[in-house]
Amino acid sequence: MERDLISKKDLLDEKGISYGQLYRWKRKQLIPEEWFIRKSTFTGQETFFPKDLMLARIDKIMNMKDDLSLDELADKLSPLLPDYEMRKIDIHKRNIVSQVVLERFTPEDADSVVYTFERLLYLYVVDKLLQAGEMSLEEGERLLHLMREHFPKFEGKPCDLVFIRKMGVSSFALLSVPAEMYYESGVKLIARLPMAECIEQLKGKLV
Amino acid sequence: MELSKKTDLIINGVSTAGGGVYEKVKIDGIGTVEGNLTSSTLDANGITKIKGDLQTGALDGDGILKIFGNLSAGKTLMDGQMSVKGNYRADHLTLNGILNISGNCEIESFEVEGAFEIKGLLNAGRMNVKLQGRGKAHEIGVESMQVRRASRSVWSKLWQWMLPKFTPELQAETIEGDDIDLEFTEARVVRGNRIIIGKGCNIELVEYRTELKAHPSAKIGREVKVGG
Repeated sequence: MERDLISKKDLLDEKGISYGQLYRWKRKQLIPEEWFIRKSTFTGQETFFPKDLMLARIDKIMNMKDDLSLDELADKLSPLLPDYEMRKIDIHKRNIVSQVVLERFTPEDADSVVYTFERLLYLYVVDKLLQAGEMSLEEGERLLHLMREHFPKFEGKPCDLVFIRKMGVSSFALLSVPAEMYYESGVKLIARLPMAECIEQLKGKLV
Repeated sequence: MELSKKTDLIINGVSTAGGGVYEKVKIDGIGTVEGNLTSSTLDANGITKIKGDLQTGALDGDGILKIFGNLSAGKTLMDGQMSVKGNYRADHLTLNGILNISGNCEIESFEVEGAFEIKGLLNAGRMNVKLQGRGKAHEIGVESMQVRRASRSVWSKLWQWMLPKFTPELQAETIEGDDIDLEFTEARVVRGNRIIIGKGCNIELVEYRTELKAHPSAKIGREVKVGG
């Protein structure tokens, strides 16, 4: 899964920011180190960023920097899970997670049960993969189990969810990034989701 | 661990200490710390080796200071030679002498007189350099920077003797920033908003947004105005 990248130059042009601002935000840890991707091009080494993540982040910084100091902003943007909580009925109403997923994975909860952000995130990830048609409901069950058991162990450090299948047998894994993974032949990488990205997307849906 | 009042670590003469968390650390002579060290202040005179990470509020060093891990300091004042094997992060650095960093360097204000080598990225808010030897960084990203050759003072003869025999110039692959003012610099690419390329520069490509001033003796391969 090759992600869409944007070069540093294009990014600055598109957003109308200067090199100084970009470096300053990096120093203040508003932009994570892992997003700086170095690649060789015909003009030498250039820096690229994951396009959708970076554009969204820059917008966020530009919108908030007038009201908050950069240090306050850094706290806001940290990947630690924010304290968003939501009742089950609202999740359904606002269509954050599809009805199928709610029915299948949380049948025992009443509509008024409040979900923590973490729990919501797990459902959101499951929903995302189901919607993409990449995963069956049974596999969803196992994914949910994995997330519940192991995701908190990362304590907010960046991690990726990896979903592979070989000869019809699927498995999931969570790994800390940056990491490179190589598979034996016959293994098909179905999805690799950066959890930080999922958190950002979900946060965006909630507010 | 209970929160008791932190103690001081004082070394006089030749000695070795374990790491730990201290209030004040003062080392005179030859001191080695065999682990990670955290302190409010660190005052080192002589030869100091930290075989781990160093985290301190204020660092004042004279002589030789070697840090085998990462260095994180509020304010650093250094006369002599400082080398960091990991990354260096600080608010402020004033250094007379030689600086060696194997990782990246992130700093709000970088004031160096002497020579330096940074293997990774030098990311600074304000950078002010007076070169007496070679300054080298793989990449430089700044808000504003100024590079000059140090004036020949009484000290320069001594420096010339102590420093490796490199001509005083700055070398970097890329330099990016808002306000860039260079002299005696060799770089592949310089990108920025307002750029001054002074005497003794040799730059392959200059990309500027608002203005470019070039000294007649400066060598510029190609200059491009970008943006509106």
